[in-house]
Parts: sequence; C-alpha cells; structure tokens
Amino acid sequence: MTTTAIPAESKRATPPAPKRRPKREREGAAWVFLSPWVLGAVVLTLLPMAVSLYLSFTDYNLFDPPRWVGLRNYTQMFTEDPRYWRSVVTTLTYVVIAVPLQLALALVVALALKSMRRGKAFYRSAFYAPSLLGASMSIALVWRAVFNDGGTVDNLLGTGGWVNKPGWALLAVALLTVWQFGAPMVIFLAGLQQIPAELYEAAAVDGAGKWRQFLSVTVPMLSPVLFFNLVLQTIQAFQVFTPAFAVSAGKGGPADSTLVYTMYLYDRGFVASHMGYASAMAWVLLLVIGIVTVVLFRTSRSWVFYASEGDR
Amino acid sequence: MTTTAVTRKPVRWGRIALHLGCLAALLVMLYPLAWLLATSLKPADEVIASLDLLPSHLEWSNYETAMDGVNDVSIWRLLSNSLLIAGGAVLGNVISCSLAAYAFARLRFRFRGPLFAFMIATIMLPHHAVLIPQYIIFNQLGLVNTYWPLILPKFLATEAFFVFLIVQFMRGLPRELEEAARIDGCGPFRSFFQVVLPLTRPALITTAIFTFIWTWNDFFTQLIYLFDPEKFTLTLALRSFVDASSQSSFGPMFAMSVIALLPIVLFFLAFQRFLVEGMASSGLKG
Amino acid sequence: MPGHRTKGFCASAAALVLCALLAGCGGSGESVGGGKVVLRYTWWGNPDRAERTEQAVALFEKQHPDIRVQTSFSGYDAYKQKLAVQASGGDAPDVMQLDYRQIDQYASGGVLFDLAKQKTVLRTSEIDPGLLDTGRVDGVQYAVPQGRGTETVVYDVKAWKDSGVPLPKWGWTWDDWAEAVRALKERTGKPGATDPGQSEDSFEVWLRGQGKSLYTEDGGLGFTAVDLTRWWTFTDKLRRAGAVSSAEQTTQIDGTVENTPLGRGTALSDTNWDAPASGYLAIIPSGVALAPMPSGADGTPGQYFKPSMFLGVGASTSHPKAAAQLIDFLINDDEAAKILGATRGIPVNETIRKETAPLLKDFDRTVSDYQASLEGKLKDPPQAPPSGDNALQTTFQRDYDQVSYERMSPREAAENYVTEAKAELRS
Repeated sequence: MTTTAIPAESKRATPPAPKRRPKREREGAAWVFLSPWVLGAVVLTLLPMAVSLYLSFTDYNLFDPPRWVGLRNYTQMFTEDPRYWRSVVTTLTYVVIAVPLQLALALVVALALKSMRRGKAFYRSAFYAPSLLGASMSIALVWRAVFNDGGTVDNLLGTGGWVNKPGWALLAVALLTVWQFGAPMVIFLAGLQQIPAELYEAAAVDGAGKWRQFLSVTVPMLSPVLFFNLVLQTIQAFQVFTPAFAVSAGKGGPADSTLVYTMYLYDRGFVASHMGYASAMAWVLLLVIGIVTVVLFRTSRSWVFYASEGDR
Repeated sequence: MTTTAVTRKPVRWGRIALHLGCLAALLVMLYPLAWLLATSLKPADEVIASLDLLPSHLEWSNYETAMDGVNDVSIWRLLSNSLLIAGGAVLGNVISCSLAAYAFARLRFRFRGPLFAFMIATIMLPHHAVLIPQYIIFNQLGLVNTYWPLILPKFLATEAFFVFLIVQFMRGLPRELEEAARIDGCGPFRSFFQVVLPLTRPALITTAIFTFIWTWNDFFTQLIYLFDPEKFTLTLALRSFVDASSQSSFGPMFAMSVIALLPIVLFFLAFQRFLVEGMASSGLKG
Repeated sequence: MPGHRTKGFCASAAALVLCALLAGCGGSGESVGGGKVVLRYTWWGNPDRAERTEQAVALFEKQHPDIRVQTSFSGYDAYKQKLAVQASGGDAPDVMQLDYRQIDQYASGGVLFDLAKQKTVLRTSEIDPGLLDTGRVDGVQYAVPQGRGTETVVYDVKAWKDSGVPLPKWGWTWDDWAEAVRALKERTGKPGATDPGQSEDSFEVWLRGQGKSLYTEDGGLGFTAVDLTRWWTFTDKLRRAGAVSSAEQTTQIDGTVENTPLGRGTALSDTNWDAPASGYLAIIPSGVALAPMPSGADGTPGQYFKPSMFLGVGASTSHPKAAAQLIDFLINDDEAAKILGATRGIPVNETIRKETAPLLKDFDRTVSDYQASLEGKLKDPPQAPPSGDNALQTTFQRDYDQVSYERMSPREAAENYVTEAKAELRS
C-alpha cells in the first residue's frame, strides 16, 4: 500500500514550526475526546470493579457487612465445589460449539449477500430478524416447544426432545445463539463494503479469478473485521447467560447440563446470596477471558492486516 | 455457439442457486418467528401444551388484553418509555463511543497502550459482578427509579464493545484523507468531524442499530432500576404476565411480545436504508 | 443532499430525547407531593392481582388523604431479584410483600422494621397465633402473614373417575398415593402424578408425616441422609415404573402450572400450592379438584397452613406509621377484603375469612372450601426457614435431577445434598 509514501510527503510539505505545536495540541485534544470515557471508566467501571475485587475476599450475603475471609472463596471454588467445575466444562463446550458455528454462518451469509445484485436489503433484514428478539421469555417458550418431545425438531429428525435431555440441551442453547447471528453478519457486511472496489479491479487487471480475488483481496482486507468478530463472540460466549437462562427457565437443567458459568455465578450471588463467592467467580472468569483474548491478539499479528499499518 | 452464451448461462444459474439457497435458509431461520406469531393467536389451553404450529382458532382476545396495558399503565405509555430509553441510549453511545474511538484510533497521548488494553478488558467484565456496586452508586446519587442509570452510562462510553468496533473501522480507513486535511490546516477536531466521522458512518449506524435493539431487550437493568409502573417499559411489562405463584397469561404475553417487536423491526428497517445509503455515499472509493 | 437530512434528523431526535429525559426525570424528584406522605409498596403477582390491589390502594388513599401509595409489581422471580438488589443497596421499599423463605434473611440482615413498635396501628389479634408466629424471627415480629395457603394434590377429575381408581380423600397415606398412581398408570397409560422427588415442599410434607421437620429450631438440618435416601428411593422406584412423570417431563417444570406435567397433559395429578392450582382450569377443560396431601403411615398429617405471603416494612422507612396503616388496612379492612378476595390466598383475619367465604366465586371458592375442610386437622406451621433455604430449594431439585437422569443412586445424591445443605446452613 501507499500509506507510507504520503506521510513522508506531508512531512516535506509542512513547515517545521507549526509541526511541533500540533503534537502538544493533539495530546490535549485526545483527552478532550476521551473525557466521557474516562469519567465512565473511573466511576462506573473501575470503582465497581475494585469493590467487587474486595468482595471476592469476603463473605458477603448482601445484607450484613462483608466479612474478610482471605482466599477462602477461591480455595472453596477450586477444591470443594464439583458443580463449579461442571459449569466450567459446560461453558467451554458451549464456546467451542457456538462461536465457530455462528461466525461461519454469519460469514457465509454475508458473502452470499455481497455477491447478490437484487434483493440484498430484503435478505439482510430477513436474516437479521431473529436477532431482533433477544432471548425473551416468549422466544424461550418457542424454543422449548420446537425442541421438545414431539416438537418440530423431533418430528423432522426423530431425535426426541433436546431441551429435556442432558446430552442435548446445551446444543439447543447454542443454536439459539447461532440463530441470532445478525450482529456478526452486519459487521461482516460493513467490512466487506469497506473494501475499495479498485483493489478488485486491480486484481482483475492482474488476471486474478474470483477465487484468487477472494483470497488475495477479500480475506486480508476483511481480517480486522473477522478478528473483531472472533474476539467479541468469544468473550460473549464465555459470558453467556441469557440463552441458557431462558431455555432452561433459570434452572440450568436438565441435570445441570446448561448451567453455564455466569448462570452459576448468578445463582451463587443472587439466589444463594453469596456475593463474595460470586465476585470471586467473576474475577476468575475475567482472568480466563483476559488470557484467551491476549492469546487471540498475539496470534492476530500473523494474520490480521490493517490498511494504516504503516504508522504503527 | 458463441462464447457470450456460454459464459452468461452459468452465471445466471449460479444466481438462481444462490437465491434458492438463501430462501431455504430463511425458511429454517424464520420458522421459530412464525411459531411466535402463531402462538400469539392461540387459545389459552394450546399456548403451551399444543405442539402444532397453527392455532385451532384465532384468539384475538390475546391482543385485546395486551393492548389494555398492564397495571393501569397504557401500552402507549410503556411504548414511549421504551422508545425514550432506547433513543437516549443510541444517542449516548454514538456520541461518546465515536469520540473515544477517534482518540484511540488516531491520536497520540500518554498511556494510550495501557488505556486501550484496559478498555478492551472492560468488555470482558461479566456485568453481574459490578451490578451491586453500580446500583449502590446510582442509589447514592439518588437516581434509582429514573432513567439515568439506563442512559447515563451510554453517554460515558461504558460499552467498550462499540468503542472497539468504531476503532476497528477507523483503523481500516486510509490515512491519506486526514493527512490531506492536516496539510490544509485542520486541527484534530475539524478533521474528526469533517473527515473521519462521515467516513465512519457505517460503523455509527451499526452502533445505533445494536444499541437500540439491545437496550430495548435489556430486561435485567430495567428491572433493577425502575420501580414506578408509570416508568415501566414494554420489555418489563411482558414479565408481569407470567407469575409462578398464580395463574399466568401466556397468550397475552405472546401477543405483547409481538407488539414489542414491531418498533425494533421498524427501527431496523428504517436504518437499513441509512446503512445502505451510508455505505454507498461514504467516500471510500475516492 | 442525504447528509443534510441525516444531520437534521439526528439533531431533532437528540432534542426530542433530551426534552423527554428532563421531563421524565423531573417527575421523579417530587417524592413529597404537596406535603403528602409517599409510600412505596411492592409485591409480586399477575395482572389480576394488580388490578384488585390498585383498587384496594385507591380506597386506602381515599381514607387517608395525606398518604399517597406508589405501587409496583412483577412476576415472582423478577421480584425476588429486584428486592434483593434494592435491599442490599439500602433502598428497600416502605411496604414489601415477602415470601416465607425471605423472612429470615431479610430480618437478620436488618432490612425489616420491628412491627411491634407500631402495634397500636397494626392490629394482629384476629390472626391465628400459630400462623402469626411464622413472621417472627428471634422473637421479633418482622412481618405479618397476608394470606394463607396449603399444599394439595390437584388432579384431573375426569381421568381419575373414568379410570375407576378410588378418588383421594382425607387421611390417605403415601402408600395409598403410590398405589393410586400405579393403578392410574396401568389403566390409563399415563403417569398418575408429577414426580414429587424434585420438590422440597413435597419432601417436607412426607417428612412431617413422620414427625420430623426440614429444619431444627436453631436452623440446622432436621433430617439425615438416610431419610432423604428413603424418600428418593421411594419416588425413584415409581418413576422407573412409569407411575410418576419421567425425568424428561419433570425437568420442564418452570414454576408455572402450564409447564407442569399435569398442565402439559402428560400426567394426571400434581402436587402444588392450592392458589396457583386455579391456573389448571384454563388448560384442563374437564376440570380439576383439590385433594389433601397424603399423610404419614400412622395418619399424621404432613401439610400445614403456610402463609402464602407476608407484608413487612422497610427498616429505613421514614413513615413507619403510614406503612403500618397500609398493612393494617390490607389485612383487617372489610372493604379491602371484599376487593382483594382470595387473590393473595385465603385471608388470615379470622372474622374476615368467615365473612368473605360465601362471597368468593369460582376457584377462589374451591380453594376456600378445601381449606375449610382441613381446618383444625393440621399441625402448626414450622418457623420461617433459615436463610440458606433459598439456595437449598434449587440444590434439592438439582441433586434429584442426578437421580432421575440415573447418574447417581438415591443414596449418593442424598449424601451430596446433606453435605451441601450443612455447608449452606453453617455460612
């Protein structure tokens, strides 16, 4: 790309004196742009986070003042709570099923829509429609009916109900998420739209076919968006709550098979009133997601391509 | 046989196959929606127990009950409350997130790296963990049972998801235009408003759409912070139909779900156009 | 140009939202409207209960022109979450509806007001002392029962009659019950009942029938793993025989009557509280009837009159007197009782109960008659369960899932539960 050439040119074109001032101005300007975020981050994020970190070392039932217990919540979680470990396994299984399925579906549909001349807006709206629903109580009831004994899926596939069998229920939950692939799809579409047409034209001039153009133009140009979707969906999948809560009617059943991490966290914190324990669970989750994200960012260096990479 | 005939034909078949494939996929995708619609017209004894898609007869009284609203609050009131919260959230997110994103994507300042990492980290925060502390803060500020706890955070760019989204888009923009603007003597503010922001429109519209839908459906926050039924939203009112300790009214609940769906559908359809327009007119090609 | 249109649109939208925001938020500021005392009163329930409550509250406001009552309600699960967050944020409402399971926690957490301080306003003399005591924690009256309910075997009348299986009656034992559900399975092909193994409430009735209790006086566990193993072995056998609902059906219970096996038409009876049973009428057109719960082998009844809900006052209220007046009105006022009917359970005020009983209609009447038939036969209710019970109810159902999905033996699951319960009650 030519990005490196232009700053070089501009350096030559700008006289040296005004060049230094903008730098200081820009530092000040940056903080102006950031000010709402900084305020929100300190008051609504850092402060509550600090409180919850403190609570994770206490026994806190929401009513009496918190009582310091050191690392007990953490040791109890790791050594004495089999249900905790079951929820960890359930969540990992869910991440592995839901994220690739949802991203693949979103990408395939986005690519199909991109190559379409007519009816694009119609299809886009129609494919987005399920995502408008969230996981409301009514959609949960629909899901339970469709995936029940004698429901549509049972009739078509003869598998019996899914939502009431421990081996299958999590799949039904994951499918609810996959079904609502509108958000990543729209992000893919917007990303595809941002790829300059000249790049394809240039590739075509160089004699590249459709497949070649896809590999050498679409894939690299789309990689930041793909990366964005991957990171986001992975983080969201680790935090999955609503679909599991809705489909299992808040119970995480059958036989704890849909009791995902945040649901168990919620259960401990808000149902059993062990806020300290729940806070500790939240911090462990935060650390795990953090590690996963850092790993993703590390690998991204080898496959994500930024157009304005030149100045980094 | 001419070469044009040969090359045109497969292309057309490919298109037809594409459309057929999409339509088949849509059929599967929209089936649960059809179920939702059909259930909203089922009589009480079929809502849960029946496994047929179609109701035995159309029970319009479900809609009549839903249109009566809940707890002496009319459905219009619930609707306008929902719109108010969702609209405020959209405005807040678009303004505050694009401001922060521009700083992260284009400006240089001290601690940019660590702050960016922190911003990303806040995406990872399970929100149940900070729920109670946040509630205590808003309670101290005397803002519980107002819409501020639902809207103010959006004006403070607390949804790092959208900041990250916009940063990613801005990073994808060619720098040439801004450089050109700088040569023309534009400071960061003018360059943001006049050059970068118009180009970022697709991301902003995406932010608006997501914010609207997610805020609309966000039952939990509304439940915690809103107390007065006059301030309830449609999403909140939906839950009033189902109560474990007494008789539930599933039929009207389904009907109200359908009603509650309409504004989001309309919003989405309306902004679809802007999305297309925004993309088409964004000067990316030049 | 499209750009201009967008800008104009956004600007006007922004202005609109801001105006509305200011208006909306301005409204909340006036907590003292014209020198009036404003009470916040919250409860859980459905739209029908809401309508009747609004009417009663309007009457109260008419009688007390200086008080304005701000009401709010949601479904039970949502209500529980909300109240917990409010209470922990030091923002409990002035008057709140409470469940039996919440009393201990809220009282010991200092959320509730000692009602004895307002006893001149809030009269409790018409309430059965045994029932009233359920609102006491450590000797302090923190809450007053508002309605009364009891457990019942609710059954599909037509199916039972057609099958020829003798109808349930007072004094039947758990063995009679087991025999009946087996016979029903044999003759109709459908399970005779919901598997009661998952229900802590049913277990409590069974336990009390043997003279034991869920919890001891000092809040410890009142039974052993051996007791629980026996209960779960009993239900597990019936489940394996198909006499009670299968695990796949039982797991779909979500608290609503519609999703119970009886409600879905996959079983012929259910054990439930009496008031919610009215929900079956809409889905089982041929009708349901209420029967007493089975008793112990020697005829000891296990079920009891449980307060279906309580009213309490927030400890931080600035208007304890007005709050007490509202509770007194809801419990003791004749007119209020007529409006409320049995929407909150059969009234606890004895005079009012007798006066209003003939006025009740439809299923309210059925429930009232059912309770009247048990009057004087049941034992006193246990004291409010300890705070850990909130979590244990779910744990109980989860551990039984392991049994009904045949992943654990009744003994293993019972031992698990007892370990978990002891840990929960200790903390």
